[in-house]
Amino acid sequence: MPAPSLAAITGFEQKLIVGVADLAVSSNPNVVIITYSLGSCLGVTIYDPVTKVGGLLHAMLPDSAIDPAKAASQAAMFIDTGIPALFRAAYQLKADKHRVQICLAGAAQVMDGSGFFSIGKRNYEMLMKLLGQHGLVVRAEQVGGLVSRTISLNIKTGEVRLKCSGQNLETILWKG
Amino acid sequence: MERIDEFIRSAKSLPPAPRILPQLMQLLRQTDVDSSKVVDLVTFDPALTAKILQVCNSAAYAGAMPVADLREALLRLGFAEIFRIVASVIGEQALGAAQAGYGIGRGELWEHSAVAAVAAQIIAQDRGLDPQQAFTAGLLHDVGKIVLAKALEGSYERIIEETDIHQQSLVEAEKAVLGVDHAQVGGRLLAQWKFPEPLVEAVTWHHDPSSAENHQPLAACVYLANMIAAFTGHGYGFQAFALRGRAEALESLGLQGDELPLYMIRTTEGLKKVSFLAAA
Repeated sequence: MPAPSLAAITGFEQKLIVGVADLAVSSNPNVVIITYSLGSCLGVTIYDPVTKVGGLLHAMLPDSAIDPAKAASQAAMFIDTGIPALFRAAYQLKADKHRVQICLAGAAQVMDGSGFFSIGKRNYEMLMKLLGQHGLVVRAEQVGGLVSRTISLNIKTGEVRLKCSGQNLETILWKG
Repeated sequence: MERIDEFIRSAKSLPPAPRILPQLMQLLRQTDVDSSKVVDLVTFDPALTAKILQVCNSAAYAGAMPVADLREALLRLGFAEIFRIVASVIGEQALGAAQAGYGIGRGELWEHSAVAAVAAQIIAQDRGLDPQQAFTAGLLHDVGKIVLAKALEGSYERIIEETDIHQQSLVEAEKAVLGVDHAQVGGRLLAQWKFPEPLVEAVTWHHDPSSAENHQPLAACVYLANMIAAFTGHGYGFQAFALRGRAEALESLGLQGDELPLYMIRTTEGLKKVSFLAAA
């Protein structure tokens, strides 16, 4: 039998930090997966309430077609490769595609009439297209606007929390 | 101008003037740099010298033998690299503190600036601009925020109103609330600190590069670098994305719109290689 983790003994929460263009999944009930500074980047959480498996993706750009080599080495950089990678990783831990609760945060959008700087908007559109193709729906989201956000997923409860940069107040995006 | 100077005069937590940086920049422009001049300039500041040697002996740079003095460090890494290390050490000291007036936490302004510096350097190298000047301008583009942060404390609601309701950018909101903005103030401060004119102009116009009189490409480079820092997950503070998209900035650098994502990827790659920005 493997030794119980420190978190299991102490009951302390264990923070699993996801960087930019990265993803993580977990089935450890002591883990809270968190990612900071979601600006135009999109943060996507998935959580299966039955198997209590969850994951978080912090993707930077919509479309991997601009750099396939990068997508091969770092799928989480792009929405179109990061989402499949996130789901695949969660399946390994026994998550079910049609049970997962999906929440979103990020995709802040600068004031741009030209469209050249609309990275946040394009990230969101790519994600919606992808989810639509698979018949998946989003349970809760806070996207767009001018703020940078932090999002976290509690693996024990499936609760998703959200915080805006410069503010101390944390809000609950999804109760789990 | 008077109002800008007033803000600078009354700012309480201004960092000491980084006199060494403009002097080093001047040396860097000479084709045949006298390394003893560089060593003399830097060793004038023992704390800085120690920090440089520490960086040179860090995992990313260290050779088989540790670098014992500045002269050796200069030989091993080259002047351009030493310059970037000096600029970063000074930048971190100047920009590391929290700026409550902007909702910026400790280390966040420095991180944002360091990423912008790397992005600016990459763009400059591609577009035939001076990479050291672009790096330094990227590093110092938000220095004006240090001057204005105190004055902005308590103005949070006004900033939200200006940006969310009146659709003003953050610099425009600053101007509405204080009568000046951080880009103007930063440029003025750097001019007082005797930084070269192209750099001063680039910082002054880093939110509106087409208004720059003589150095539009450098201003556009810093503008894009600031955007890239925000887009790659290094934008902080209240309304961090109240920025205006300026297609003319791409134009003045001869870039296509779809090249921006590629520069975002290259910047995140570039960051991995610069260990002296370890805090970022």
